Amino acid sequence: MNTLTTIDELGFAPALQQDVLEDTTSDHALLEATRTGDQDAFAELVSRYRNQITSFIYRMTNDYDGAVDLAQETFVRVYRAADRYQRSYAFSTYIYRIATNLAISELRKRKRRKLVSLTGFFQQTDGGEAQELNPPDARPLQDSELVDTERRNAVQRAIATLPEKYRAPLILRDVDGRSYDEIAKILETSEGTVKSRISRARGFLREKMRAYL
Amino acid sequence: MRKNNCELIRRELDELMLDEACSSSMADHLRNCAGCREFQEKQTKLRRIVGSLGTVAAPPDFDFRLRARLANESSSAVSQFGYWSRRAFAVAALLLVFATGAVLVRNVLEKPATVVDVVTKQEPTMHQPAKPVETGAPVPMDPNRKLVAGIPDKRPQSSRPERSVSAGSRNKRPLVAADFSSERAEVINGMEAVGTSAAFPIDASLEPFKVSLDDGRGNARTISVPTISFGSQRIVQNANQFAPKRVW
Repeated sequence: MNTLTTIDELGFAPALQQDVLEDTTSDHALLEATRTGDQDAFAELVSRYRNQITSFIYRMTNDYDGAVDLAQETFVRVYRAADRYQRSYAFSTYIYRIATNLAISELRKRKRRKLVSLTGFFQQTDGGEAQELNPPDARPLQDSELVDTERRNAVQRAIATLPEKYRAPLILRDVDGRSYDEIAKILETSEGTVKSRISRARGFLREKMRAYL
Repeated sequence: MRKNNCELIRRELDELMLDEACSSSMADHLRNCAGCREFQEKQTKLRRIVGSLGTVAAPPDFDFRLRARLANESSSAVSQFGYWSRRAFAVAALLLVFATGAVLVRNVLEKPATVVDVVTKQEPTMHQPAKPVETGAPVPMDPNRKLVAGIPDKRPQSSRPERSVSAGSRNKRPLVAADFSSERAEVINGMEAVGTSAAFPIDASLEPFKVSLDDGRGNARTISVPTISFGSQRIVQNANQFAPKRVW
């Protein structure tokens, strides 16, 4: 999606959009075949999206096993609702919407159960999300790869502390590289709201990641 | 003014993609504003770190587990269908049993009532045995009895009270009645029947004629005779009220 936007800016949008359209049509065709009972078509759909969906849910929930379960639930819902699927949206938008809803539901369930992640030590007094205590390691690091790993872990933990309404658009934009338009469709909100939330999410992250920036 | 301009520039920076070239006005502002330049550096660094998270791969057995889950769900759906179909069958059977029981109870409750009713209605009949009508002879009349439209009673006496009761109770139309109980019955010879006569409609009941019989052993039988319409009939002047129908 990064590429798409870049080429869009360069003025090659029509050709690339055609490719995207063909890819989308292919997803639609696979879902049509799934509807008629073609298991191989559904397997192809799963192989196309399993990593993206698992990764997205993992970034949302910060729990790999739970993310795998929810990704499977996403595909189960796609399979079950194949008869009711409408082609008004791209299939990727459709499946990401299901995954986002499942992830947000899971986060709310956790909140109700008052489950705090093992990495979270402080809870906001105003009822907000858990705050991470994430002090930078002051010891000298041996390797630049270790530095990168540490940063990635820190940012993953920081993302996990964001309120869910900021978390989803940030991940979709900065991790998955989706366009504002697509994010707005996935989250069923306006593009302006998406931009605003992403900006605020980055502001939160900047504060949390101050030591690494 | 400068602050507003910085906010605008930072918002634009936020909306840019990574490595996307900024406009000339934005570049000019960044050259002159250290705060915005620092913001851009930190923002770019943060976005690179976030973007470096990359994609986490699904486990190798993801497909296998998904197939197993789908198979499990479909089988559970089938078993659920079986469960609901069995429940529906049980409910239908229960309803059938209730309906049959209700019908049986209703029959049992209604049967004695019918017998009692029949017996009650038959009582006057049993005490008044049917008497053959003798043409040309005076017929003793029941003092409490009225003849409808002056029609002679040609039916057996046993059935007459039943019809009178039913006509009186069910037919709401006014009856043309003549009471001959205080007069002596005349004898007709059959020859006077022919002659000038007046015609008038007979108001007969439209209800079917029903006779209930009880054989004394609790068995009741009901005989229903359909309504007979005579239309308009001719009556002979000074005719005997008890003359046979043939002479009309």
